[in-house]
Amino acid sequence: MEQQAIIEANDPGTAVVAGSNVGKTFANGTVVALDNAEFTIPKGKFVSLVGPSGCGKSTLLRLIAGLIAPTSGHLHVHGTQVAGPRQDVAMMFQRATLLEWRTAIENVLLPTEIAGNVEDADRERAMELLHLVGLGDFAFSFPAQLSGGMQQRVALARLLQTGADVILLDEPFGALDEFTRERLNVELLRIVAEVGATTVFVTHNIAEAIFLADEVYVMTPRPGRIAKVIDVPLERPRELAIQTSPEFNHLVDEARDVLGAH
Amino acid sequence: MADTVAQSTMNQRAGMSLRTRRILTHAGIFALLLLAWEIGSRTGLLDPLFYPRPTDILASFWRVYVTQGNIWFHLYASLGLVLAGFVAGSIMGIGLGALVGFNPLVRRFIKPYVIVLEATPRIAVAPLLIAALGFGAQSKIAIIMLVCFFAPFINTLSGVVNVNEEKLELFKSLGASKMQTLRKLVLPEAVPVIMAGERLALTAALSGVLVAEFIQRDQGIGSLILTYTRNLNMASAFACIFTLTIIGFLIFRFMEWLDHRIAFWNHEDGLNRNAQKRQARWSKKLATA
Repeated sequence: MEQQAIIEANDPGTAVVAGSNVGKTFANGTVVALDNAEFTIPKGKFVSLVGPSGCGKSTLLRLIAGLIAPTSGHLHVHGTQVAGPRQDVAMMFQRATLLEWRTAIENVLLPTEIAGNVEDADRERAMELLHLVGLGDFAFSFPAQLSGGMQQRVALARLLQTGADVILLDEPFGALDEFTRERLNVELLRIVAEVGATTVFVTHNIAEAIFLADEVYVMTPRPGRIAKVIDVPLERPRELAIQTSPEFNHLVDEARDVLGAH
Repeated sequence: MADTVAQSTMNQRAGMSLRTRRILTHAGIFALLLLAWEIGSRTGLLDPLFYPRPTDILASFWRVYVTQGNIWFHLYASLGLVLAGFVAGSIMGIGLGALVGFNPLVRRFIKPYVIVLEATPRIAVAPLLIAALGFGAQSKIAIIMLVCFFAPFINTLSGVVNVNEEKLELFKSLGASKMQTLRKLVLPEAVPVIMAGERLALTAALSGVLVAEFIQRDQGIGSLILTYTRNLNMASAFACIFTLTIIGFLIFRFMEWLDHRIAFWNHEDGLNRNAQKRQARWSKKLATA
């Protein structure tokens, strides 16, 4: 099992995250949060989950994170069943959830501290990551001294510090203003490309979902399910300007049709 | 940034003259009040027996602190009790608060008792404590502990219970153990609330020691006030009371200072100071790497 997982992870094109018949119900089965989700996410791909509230996008993300257990079906990451939070999967939330009594770099090092001892190499890595997210000069600032956008950058660096190659983002820039969010999205693409992570990104913004992703899972509520998977063939690296292109708008219409028809 | 710096220096400059003016106004009003008191007391408008002249109080200050110097012994005794009762009450309050907070089962069973205890005036139990522990320092400290216990207990409890859900989820997703979550998240996050409880507790300790010494009049500032009042030496009693005012004020400022040190992240000055300190510590670490 272990051996197989390693082989699969090193083979590009194989599924890093795979779900078969994944379902989750709440309140003794009366609320179907996610119904029969079938999907495979290949290594290094960026998948967006988009849909209105109640469509199960956050539920699916938390299932992959191992924060909740599915009521039915199987969920695998790197070939092993998800049985709880794991080292190779890391998650980022809508709010930065930084510890206010720690400086930026100390926050970035939190995952390392929890996993074991902090070595000099970890400290250097944390500093590199802060540079990667554009906060090299703010390593010793406390969260209260940083803007909302900067706090999310620290949270992103902290997520990368885990060393996980599957990263889950739950509306990570949803609480920020439009300009900051667009800028951070462009940077996010640069950063995940650089570290080669497999990414799942939750949003309720169709344009944002398409702009970022290789594949968009359009999800609909009652019961929450993946209604359609839209392939996004747009070239990378992407600039914000592609959002005005006809191809882009065609994809937006395609997603909107699914959501509108529901 | 430059803007705010310029603004703050501007405010400071304008504030300086405003502040001196304010201080002068307050001093003037205070002097007038004292003068009115002095005149009232001298003319017999105020009964000099109960409202001694400010000049007499000042003379008493001189006597109890310098010529007789008898207040030091009592002050020393009282403050020792305050410290002992406060520390013991705090440790118990914070410890039990954390214990109850961490354990939902204990919390459920202990809640009714907490409500009953909260509704009962703690001082009412003081005579019982003396009966149980006898006269002496033990029962006095027990009384102070009793009045000190509650604020840290309740605050620690609520601080521990009301930990940010999202941060808990973060720790869960990082695979943190219970102990790690406690040490790295729950306790630090509860610190500002615990500090607020400690502030209340220390003020309560000062009242507690007086009650204890009113009941057991062997020594301490409380017993001194009683003695002076009984001998109708009101000026000296006032000297003792104003001493307590000053101590109360010092306690308040001390706790404020401590709060800025310990829960530094809630205060701008604390953030700036600690950011510099940590940067220095870190550059040392990275340099040796």
